Amino acid sequence: MFCLSLIEHNLPLPPHLLNRPLLDAIKEELERLFLDKVLSNLGLCISIYDIRTIEGGFVFPGDGSSTYKVVFRLIMFRPYVGEILCGKLKASDANGLHLSLGFFDDIKVPVHLLPHKSRMGDDGIWIWEHECGDLPMDLDEEVHFRVTKINYPPIPLEQDANASPFSPMEIIGEIYGDGLGLLSWWAD
Amino acid sequence: MKTLQANAGVLTNLEVLEFLRARGATSDPMGCLGAVAPSECKVFDYLVNTPACNQTRGAIDEFLKRCEKFKLAKAEKFNIINLRPSNQALIDPIIEYCEKRLTKDEARGIDEVQELVDSVLEVLPPPPAKPDEEMQDLEEPPTAKPMEEN
Repeated sequence: MFCLSLIEHNLPLPPHLLNRPLLDAIKEELERLFLDKVLSNLGLCISIYDIRTIEGGFVFPGDGSSTYKVVFRLIMFRPYVGEILCGKLKASDANGLHLSLGFFDDIKVPVHLLPHKSRMGDDGIWIWEHECGDLPMDLDEEVHFRVTKINYPPIPLEQDANASPFSPMEIIGEIYGDGLGLLSWWAD
Repeated sequence: MKTLQANAGVLTNLEVLEFLRARGATSDPMGCLGAVAPSECKVFDYLVNTPACNQTRGAIDEFLKRCEKFKLAKAEKFNIINLRPSNQALIDPIIEYCEKRLTKDEARGIDEVQELVDSVLEVLPPPPAKPDEEMQDLEEPPTAKPMEEN
């Protein structure tokens, strides 16, 4: 689920941080820039793991701040395709299920990746028609799903006023198969 | 910004949890202001509710040693450590082509999938009971009694 990424960045250090120890100031500036942001094809940045090298400290002409070349590692949330994750069922609608991991909410399970023979109940809850009976997929249940794809859609140039907020990282999951779906279906 | 290495190492949930704990994250939402950012707090809250919260490095090393003979991919081993599947049905989606790679021959008494599940159950500690299960078997702690007598 989590991995490290080695990043190099030319960081301008704003003047109001000049009275702080260098390492703390650089760490704060990196956190401001990267924490809780999605980097395309790298995933969601969780935390700064460590700072490897700091070089430079040059002041460019016309600038009030010094620029450092910093090499550091970030803890990224980037599940691999085929990984099994455990999330909570947050919402369900005609397009499928929406799962959440607490810190990451944009996980969708579209209708064609639900278990075979699922139908939508009257109250908006999906139900799996199993030989042993109907198993509803109630909200707030723990769900095991397999990651099938991670999308990084480009930032839209225009948006409708009441469109859902743009999500820079989307995980498409599936619960089609043995051992996937609600934990209560398979637990002892 | 330049990416020097997109994948400089994989971390188990336990390692991320220990890292956040060392930075000062706690389950108390007010306690970890200032030390860790709110987004890191959310990750900590998620990890504390997974089996990673009471794993130890020793248990993980022991598990990796035990499952060497099954020749699992590194990603599969990490997935098992993070998820702690407690029966065959839950372990099946983690391992690709499970039926072909792990032999199951009832005639000769070999069931490698069950062996793997048994290793998981023995070596990796179970996740703590959920709050509604704890309420049902609430008992008086034994240390309270001597205090009352004094």
